[in-house]
Amino acid sequence: MTLAIAPDQPGVQRPSSPLRRHAPFLLIAPALIFLFVFLVLPYFNIIVMSLRVPARVGMYAEGFTHANYARALTDGFYMGVLGQTLLVGLLTTVACVLFGVPIAYHLGRSRSRWSGVLYTLILSPLLVGVVVRTFGWLIILSGNGVANKTLREFGLIEAPLRLMNNEFGVVLALTHVLLPLMILPLLGNVQAINPNLERAARSLGAGRLTVFWRIGLPLCMPGIQAGGILVFILAISAFVTPAMLGGPQVRTMSVLIVQQLIDNFQWPFGAALALILATATSVSVLLYIRFTAPLLRGLR
Amino acid sequence: MTVKAERLGRSIDRAYQWAFRSFLVLAYAFLALPIVLILLMALNAGELLEFPPKGMSLRWFVALFDSEIFIKAILTSLQVAAVATCVSGLLGTAAALYFVRHAHRFREALRVLMIAPLLLPEILTAIALLFFVHQIGVGNRGGFGLYVGHTMITLPFVFLNVSAVLYNFDRSIELAARSLGGRTWTVFRRITLPMIKPGVFAGCMFAFVVSFDLFAVSLLLKGIGQSTIPIQLYDYLRWDFDPLAAAVSSVSILISLGVVLLADRIVGLRALRF
Repeated sequence: MTLAIAPDQPGVQRPSSPLRRHAPFLLIAPALIFLFVFLVLPYFNIIVMSLRVPARVGMYAEGFTHANYARALTDGFYMGVLGQTLLVGLLTTVACVLFGVPIAYHLGRSRSRWSGVLYTLILSPLLVGVVVRTFGWLIILSGNGVANKTLREFGLIEAPLRLMNNEFGVVLALTHVLLPLMILPLLGNVQAINPNLERAARSLGAGRLTVFWRIGLPLCMPGIQAGGILVFILAISAFVTPAMLGGPQVRTMSVLIVQQLIDNFQWPFGAALALILATATSVSVLLYIRFTAPLLRGLR
Repeated sequence: MTVKAERLGRSIDRAYQWAFRSFLVLAYAFLALPIVLILLMALNAGELLEFPPKGMSLRWFVALFDSEIFIKAILTSLQVAAVATCVSGLLGTAAALYFVRHAHRFREALRVLMIAPLLLPEILTAIALLFFVHQIGVGNRGGFGLYVGHTMITLPFVFLNVSAVLYNFDRSIELAARSLGGRTWTVFRRITLPMIKPGVFAGCMFAFVVSFDLFAVSLLLKGIGQSTIPIQLYDYLRWDFDPLAAAVSSVSILISLGVVLLADRIVGLRALRF
């Protein structure tokens, strides 16, 4: 029998029995059991559920079928909603990149004594629940809300603008909700850029815009890619914001799925819709990684 | 380069800098605006959520303390967050100890599994749990699924924070304690635990704040009469639109802020790495 003393164990220990050797595993065992029972099994169960036969009474009937998928994939309504969901996710990601890159670029290299305050400002939305933040946008965007009141006060518009119950409102609020998650990965990226690179470019006569375009931005690409994926996934699976600001115009998959599950009690069909959404998300992310890969070439 | 071209280049540069600055101001304002407005609206003296507010008053906070549903929601939220934080604090800390110090085989797989609840969309996890608790016959009774879901989502936050502290842990201190005759448990209690405390507290703080704001899991898994603040607020906003909602929002913001400040007082969050 071999005496195995793990390399990171102090050498003063007695020769360990197998029981003693595996004792540390008991530390992670509870968490693993918990995750296996309540995460791994339930996720497999979604697949099983999506193949079950829908029933009028109860959760599902006997037997298995692929009818749920057939129904979702052939019905133009559900595919339209899926398309709209992906569009909202895409627009939100683009908006987060457009807002996030300049902010991260500024904050990542700011030496100002205000930078602490600005950090707090960027991270604070994470402390505020998504319902509360969306409610804030409801106050701003509603027909009689802050934005319309202010615009009318200044005589810029006559009739109230339609700022919510459309894609604009949903994308705007989602951008606000997800922007911190775009900025955080970018910040590390920006801070890692060697300032001498930019100084060298400046001393060779490049303007600030050129420096940003030719040096800063390309070096930020890994952060943009990572943050973009995160934002896209979260935007697509968001429920609260589209439910509160989308109205009947903007239907996203999450809203539809919850409706199927809670209001209509159509569990097998809801499960199929959820898996279609998950598949569409994974495919989009893989495509995104594939198409952004050339931008990262030579950076790592 | 001619003088003219150089001058042109410089004015483009200045215009760019000016545009960049004003863009930044707008972007920061965009981030702050909704939250500032909610706090402002909660102090509104008027009947409606109107802008500009009709004077200042605390009447809506008084109304909040008279509102049975919201007080109950606040208590439910606090209770669920406390339970989830304690359980995921224990599970997550122990798991991080094993992962950083003992895991050799399947290390990457373990890591992915431990942070999986963070990587998977919350709504999907909620749906998975909803089916599961009904199929094992527990259902939404007593909010079993609610507690499990909140623990699940908050677990990675504890795990990641404790792991981060453990990676920077100087184990020679433990070795010294051991060579001086300290037993495993004593060394753990007197040396290891005090040294990883900042990570545990930071992780628990994140866990609490995240659980406090969790929506999808609560929506699908709550038991009867178990609405947390976000759920109750969402329900309320479907039919009513008055400053009471802003007052509730403000209180929930203040509770989260209080937890963060408390954690900062105890361990100092400046050491935190994001």
